[in-house]
Amino acid sequence: MSTSHYIPDDKVPLPPPDAEVFTTCCDYCIVACGYKVYRWPLGTEGGAKAKENALKRDYPLGPLAGNWVGPNQHNIVTANGKQYHIAVVADADTEAVNLGGDHSIRGGCIAQKVFNPNTPTRDRLQRPMVRVFDTLMPVTWDFALDIAAEISKYVIKNHSENAWACKTNSYQFMENQYAITRFALKDINTPAFAWHDSPCIGEESAGIAFTGFSTFAPSYWDRANADVLFISGTDPFETKTILWNEWIMPAIRDKGMKVIMVMPRKTAGAAYAEANGGLFLDVIPGTDPVLYNAITRLLIENNQVDMEFIKNWTSNFNTELWETESGFGRGTRNTHWQWITTWGKLEAKGFEDFKKWVLGEKETEIGKASEITGVSVEKIKKAAEMLANGNGKKKVSFAYEKGNYWSNNYLGTASLASLALMTGCGNRPGRMLGRLGGHQRGGLGGGNYPGNKSPDKFGGRRRLTMDVDRWVESGHVRFAWVVGTTWVSAMAGSQSQMNTFSKLTRGNPHQVMSLVKEEIIETLKKRVDSGGMVVVNQDIYLRDPIGAKYADIVFPVATWGEADFTRANGERRLRLYSKFCDAPGEAQPDWWIIAQWAKKMGFEGYDWKDSNDVITEGARFSRGRQDNNYDALAWMAKQKGVKFHDLLRKFGTTGIQTPTVLVDENYKYDRPGGEHTMPKAMKDSPDLRHGGLKVIGLARLHDSEWDLPSEHFGARYIDPKNLVSFNTQSGKANWLKSPWDMYSDFHEYMSPKDDELRITNGRVNEIWQSGFDDVERRPYITQRFPEQFIELHPDDAKARGIESGDMVVAYSDRIPVWKDQQMGTNANDTKFGALLKNGHVKMTSASVTAVAMVTPAVKKGVGFMYFLHPTQPANSLAARIVDPLTNQYRYKIGIGKVKRIGESPYKRDFHTMTFVRRDLV
Amino acid sequence: GFGISMAEAAVLSKYPRKKIGSLRALKTDVPVRFAYPTKDIENMLVKLGAQAGGGVGPSKDVVAFNPVCTHMGGPLGEKYNAQYKILGQCPFHQSTFDLTRHGMIVSGHGTESLPQVLLETEGDDIYATGFIGLVYGRKSNV
Repeated sequence: MSTSHYIPDDKVPLPPPDAEVFTTCCDYCIVACGYKVYRWPLGTEGGAKAKENALKRDYPLGPLAGNWVGPNQHNIVTANGKQYHIAVVADADTEAVNLGGDHSIRGGCIAQKVFNPNTPTRDRLQRPMVRVFDTLMPVTWDFALDIAAEISKYVIKNHSENAWACKTNSYQFMENQYAITRFALKDINTPAFAWHDSPCIGEESAGIAFTGFSTFAPSYWDRANADVLFISGTDPFETKTILWNEWIMPAIRDKGMKVIMVMPRKTAGAAYAEANGGLFLDVIPGTDPVLYNAITRLLIENNQVDMEFIKNWTSNFNTELWETESGFGRGTRNTHWQWITTWGKLEAKGFEDFKKWVLGEKETEIGKASEITGVSVEKIKKAAEMLANGNGKKKVSFAYEKGNYWSNNYLGTASLASLALMTGCGNRPGRMLGRLGGHQRGGLGGGNYPGNKSPDKFGGRRRLTMDVDRWVESGHVRFAWVVGTTWVSAMAGSQSQMNTFSKLTRGNPHQVMSLVKEEIIETLKKRVDSGGMVVVNQDIYLRDPIGAKYADIVFPVATWGEADFTRANGERRLRLYSKFCDAPGEAQPDWWIIAQWAKKMGFEGYDWKDSNDVITEGARFSRGRQDNNYDALAWMAKQKGVKFHDLLRKFGTTGIQTPTVLVDENYKYDRPGGEHTMPKAMKDSPDLRHGGLKVIGLARLHDSEWDLPSEHFGARYIDPKNLVSFNTQSGKANWLKSPWDMYSDFHEYMSPKDDELRITNGRVNEIWQSGFDDVERRPYITQRFPEQFIELHPDDAKARGIESGDMVVAYSDRIPVWKDQQMGTNANDTKFGALLKNGHVKMTSASVTAVAMVTPAVKKGVGFMYFLHPTQPANSLAARIVDPLTNQYRYKIGIGKVKRIGESPYKRDFHTMTFVRRDLV
Repeated sequence: GFGISMAEAAVLSKYPRKKIGSLRALKTDVPVRFAYPTKDIENMLVKLGAQAGGGVGPSKDVVAFNPVCTHMGGPLGEKYNAQYKILGQCPFHQSTFDLTRHGMIVSGHGTESLPQVLLETEGDDIYATGFIGLVYGRKSNV
């Protein structure tokens, strides 16, 4: 008799002393903990004594020993055609990030990710496929690539490169990102290019960047060395596990650091912070700017701003060159924000001007702010007390993530940046502002975005990068290349977008009914000429609907552990992700697929033999990047005559914090946190010395107290200004206004009417950047979260007759979708009210089912769902109305009614799902 | 799906059968300790006062678990939360485990459910007969 539920193992083999060891990092969240992979032949096993196992540990282990191999850390793989055991274990010897071998639940189970035909990974894509008779049929690489190349050329010639769109992940290793961007942006040169988490390629948190903060400037050391840490729109307990476990939580516990968190839902981290002298601000989604500006106003009124810092480090306190009023009348030159300016609406001419603005805004008055944000007057006052820094002695740091910039993108980030400046946050150890991050940093640009081809323009001066989803919606895309993303389910207004995709692909009369290549090409040409769209999808699994329903061609991809790859984490830490097993079937890395395809289209320079060739070629394109700038290290590898991957391998799981820079070989980098920049053993290594120079890594960007060495950086280019000052023309921070009336009409529309709730979405610790593996293919996690859930406040649940475990439907028939009009002439043209009035918005309906979890942790009037469930996309209920200033989505702003439809099977089943609240301390 | 299926019990037949307590002696929400299957593995027996997966006794509410966090070995023995029938938060890294649901992770980092001791009753006597899952820090339970 078989059971339908997960049964854990009660034993596990240990690696024997002669097991092979590979270094890698977790594939999931941005923290990227260091892992070792132990590999040994089937039929052998290590023993419990230290000398009998490769971990060199005496079993059983005591508390915090690290290096435990649990059943979920073990798997069986194929490598070089032979079968092996593997144990994938968080590295207890690493000198950074996951000190002591700490790990998340996701990384801790990552061994289960690896392809094994005896596990639920058995459906990995293994063959290129073409859709014929509405069935995906296996073909050869050449056959599939010939079709992709031929249709690409045809579309570009007859419909222009703007009709050739690319939607891609931005993170799945630098080698692949280089190839993707080189192909799509440099060679095809299309403006219809967007990342997996956005309709465009633009600045993701513009208000922060335009103020002058580099979003990944801080190191994890900085997160543990502040007096007050203000976190907007995320809880690192849920989504940056080891940054919380090993850096933030110990600082709260042992050093008395106070943490303020802003979210509509109290999570375990927020509860812990609150129980330890911190503060939880339960904000209504989207109202962050009102909250931050109200706190700013209190700081000003109470004379509690850090004036010394403001005088030294923000624009226009004196008349030196390049401050706000100088620069040929063009404002703070070479910062992006001037180009989206609304002529006086957003920019402030210095602190005094900003102060006058914030004191004059009616929404910043504390009573009004409390009414809009749903945060009590007492809590707003308490936040201002905790951030008060009149004497500048308090070290205040700021962190933020998607709850902020996926709610109210520009205003949320600009208001957070100006609040941070008030507290003296910026440019110094322990006083840093930065993103906590989502995916790891795999970016490496092989081509420039052709901005002059984008039709998108906000009422300002320069064009915006294209909103590709709106471009599809308005019928301009004839060929769509989708790399490692679900596209539609991951975007706002998902179900409305599914309708569009369905119409353009399956709904088109020209469907392939032959396996003769020439006939396939002819049919697809007719498809694109008749206004339809051809979809090519490359991924590791067949995703529904993008691959399973819409794709005409599917390419199988090799991933983590199946080739040597390079990537950086959330503190710019670069590491090698070693190959330790074979890719299934004929799956190939993205860069390989692109190389063959590009050659078939006649593009040159794609003769890469291995992934090391790609990363070596890409090195010079990493110059000037704030994250993963590895040019100096690649230069050193070249001088030494070694492969870049082999040099990086020597840094093991500790890696090196980028930018890598060249300094005099006798220079000592001794900045706070510098002990973690690279392994101790590498600091004096001859491998990193050449011609009187050596390579070092840096703990942080914007370190104004660091005396740059006089002989800095040698032959390798990096802009030294970013290392010691703000990232602006003047090196000082800009003051940016964040007027509520640029958002308020949208907020009003998306507020509950009748018995609606605000439906927002977010993440949970157990599934985070790992959903493509664990929701469907990791029985241990599947039993915990078998399907979509919705957290409801007890009062809201009771009013609807809903109990934990009930199945509910969340639905709405008034989800707005911005359907056309890419050009705004005047600033007000792209305000929600004007779009609505002028016919650019259509109202759509959406509905998703979910299992109710009734908990007081979620704010009354708000329903909280998991962001990306494959079959029940919560963001179907989010408006597909981008922030017109930045073209970024407002994923967290949804609306809907919630109705009970019955009991879920989990309500009375003890094996699957739990309904205990998550915020217990 | 109430209780432990036959298939699970069959898998675990190598474990000894050992008397570990009596139903009458248990007070609701007052955990007691016992060693099983060897004297160096200390477990927790508790009457939850609410029906639970694998629960024995007239109300199917008596369960037993190994109270060591499966993340990094945190001690959960003193962390029984009677209101929510969980163990945790773990004093190390805040994980919580639901004792009504076979020790399933509620929130946190454990890469295994808390190992559950299989129980049987014979009159008033409670017997341990096996384990579901691996106790933290070991390569096998026996």
